[in-house]
Amino acid sequence: MRRLLLFALLALGAAGCGEKTPAAPPPVDGQLEPVGNPHGDMGTPLPDPELQDGRVGRSPRRLTVTQLARSIEVAVGRPWAGLEGGLATTLGRADYALVNQESTEPNLVFAKFLEDGAREVCMAQAAAEKSQASPEARVLSRTIPGPLTDLRKLSDAQVRELLVYLSTRFWGSPLQGDELTRWATFFTKAAARAEAITNGRDQALAAVCIALMTDSRFLTY
Amino acid sequence: MKKNDPIPTSRRTLLKAGAGFLGASLLGGLPFRSFAQAAALKPADRCFVFVYFSGGWDQLLAFDPRDPDVFTPERVAETRILPGYNLFTDGTAPFPITPAGSNITFGPAVANLTKHYGRMAVVRGVNMTTLAHEEGMRYFITGKRPIGAAARGSSTATEVVGQMVPTVPIPSIAYGVESYNDRYPGSANALRVSRSKDLVDTLSPSTRKLDSQIETELLALGGEPVTCDEAALSAGGVGDTYHTSRDQVLQVLKGGLSEKFNFAVKNTENNAVRAFYGLPDAGPYDSAAGRAALVATALKLGISQCVSINLVGGLDTHFGTQTTHLGNLRTGFNALSLLVDDLARTPHPSGGDFMDHTTILVFSEFARTPLINATNGRDHHLTNSCLLMGAGVKHNMVFGHSGDIGMAAGLVDLKTGAKDSNNGESILPDHIIATVLASAGLDYSITRVEPLKPLLAT
Repeated sequence: MRRLLLFALLALGAAGCGEKTPAAPPPVDGQLEPVGNPHGDMGTPLPDPELQDGRVGRSPRRLTVTQLARSIEVAVGRPWAGLEGGLATTLGRADYALVNQESTEPNLVFAKFLEDGAREVCMAQAAAEKSQASPEARVLSRTIPGPLTDLRKLSDAQVRELLVYLSTRFWGSPLQGDELTRWATFFTKAAARAEAITNGRDQALAAVCIALMTDSRFLTY
Repeated sequence: MKKNDPIPTSRRTLLKAGAGFLGASLLGGLPFRSFAQAAALKPADRCFVFVYFSGGWDQLLAFDPRDPDVFTPERVAETRILPGYNLFTDGTAPFPITPAGSNITFGPAVANLTKHYGRMAVVRGVNMTTLAHEEGMRYFITGKRPIGAAARGSSTATEVVGQMVPTVPIPSIAYGVESYNDRYPGSANALRVSRSKDLVDTLSPSTRKLDSQIETELLALGGEPVTCDEAALSAGGVGDTYHTSRDQVLQVLKGGLSEKFNFAVKNTENNAVRAFYGLPDAGPYDSAAGRAALVATALKLGISQCVSINLVGGLDTHFGTQTTHLGNLRTGFNALSLLVDDLARTPHPSGGDFMDHTTILVFSEFARTPLINATNGRDHHLTNSCLLMGAGVKHNMVFGHSGDIGMAAGLVDLKTGAKDSNNGESILPDHIIATVLASAGLDYSITRVEPLKPLLAT
């Protein structure tokens, strides 16, 4: 009798468990079988941006001096020589003797010397590109076909293509919409003025480069 | 602890909206940044100057003199103190100085600064507990005993700007002095310069310029309202801070502040500075007087709240003569006197003069032995003194003492300043720094001691 009772209870239990597990519908054609998250339920969703000043995720941070140096080298195509020549500490690099913590504060001194640095590397790079015939060898004028000639002759589409390329290169996100139009206007005016200056063709490219490099999108991540 | 109110998160948005509206209607579409630049530099309501005399100063010549008629060479075996005032070879009167009305007696080197006795308090008998230059210096800069030679904690200037968070563009300048920051944001870091030219370079426009029209276009592009992308990056504060900093750069450059620190530039203001501080027309300006002029300029123009400065060196005279040390000390004190004169004659926008709003701490890493060594110099001595001047401290008074035998650090009741050989305590740099912080109502808990309350003005 006891064995029968135990068997009946086990049978009921098994039936109960089976009822709780819904049968997965067979996948339709072209549908992948759903795979469970191997890390389990991720739990807390991202915070409401309204509750943290419009931010989604973590706060943006300023590049460290080392990151900045590498970013400039990659984006502009040449290093900022003056940075390692004494400005690194001024811009926030810790020496772990007198300053124990890397400063990533975008303060006045940082803004001032970044502007100086942008001018140093951008003007040098733009000047160098004047004599480089191949677009592949150039950075600031990569999308301009052939040798660098009169920038006023670029079509609006070419100007926009260049600006989209450069903004993506410097910031990781392309210029678009009204802002792209504004930058295109800026470039066109600068190009017109640059052609009026003796040997000043590079100035329009340098100006765009400086503007990109001193924008907060370049120095934050 | 004083804390500035957090910047309202919608401030930028409001300013943008306001500037856009007003810009369109009143200012003819002036870009937002240009509109924001209208705010002028304003001196900090409370300023600090930390004056370092490098090398270890002789307190018999400065703030802890002895009567040469009492401490004679004949009694030196008993007193272990030899003032040596009779060894001056430059005609300096061989006596301590006590100006009429002063409660403080000064050594012969204090010279012109003695006239400011009514604005100062002298602390004697400070026990440095170290005879190493770096340790003593870092001890006084931080108010914390270094670990070995390594500084511990932040500089007092960093503590001040870290706690007060001033709105001046370069809150702290360290001229020829070390500066440390171990717990505050980077904005509290001092701008370290080793020459006045370094500061001029910081405040000067870039030497690389584009065509003026392109520069104008570039400035206008930077002054356009921010885009959504930029706003997203600004939301966390970094972008906002950066834009504010760029505005400040423009403001500083527009104000031609570099010229104000480049005393070689001939204009009415600089001519007046050179005449007041006795500076040569063409420089150099890294002299003690030139450094004093730089301090005054930084505070008066509202560039900085704290300036730490190595005013004079050449004091480590193990092999020097009394006259050499006297001359170097006097150069520093005369320059300091000019600085005090300048601050005292300049009205502060908040009322009173700049000395009413400025606390000055004058220190060195240690003192020099009260006995003269075999090479006519003096070696390192533990018992030090320091000087506190200006806002937040009592004036025309002496706190603490050194002993009449070998100038040992005297024990005092720290609550009253009275001598107490039995139950008294040594005065340490920790107490001095706590007093400086407390004089401005700042948190001094990092020093782990109480300030010297008899020295506090309130």
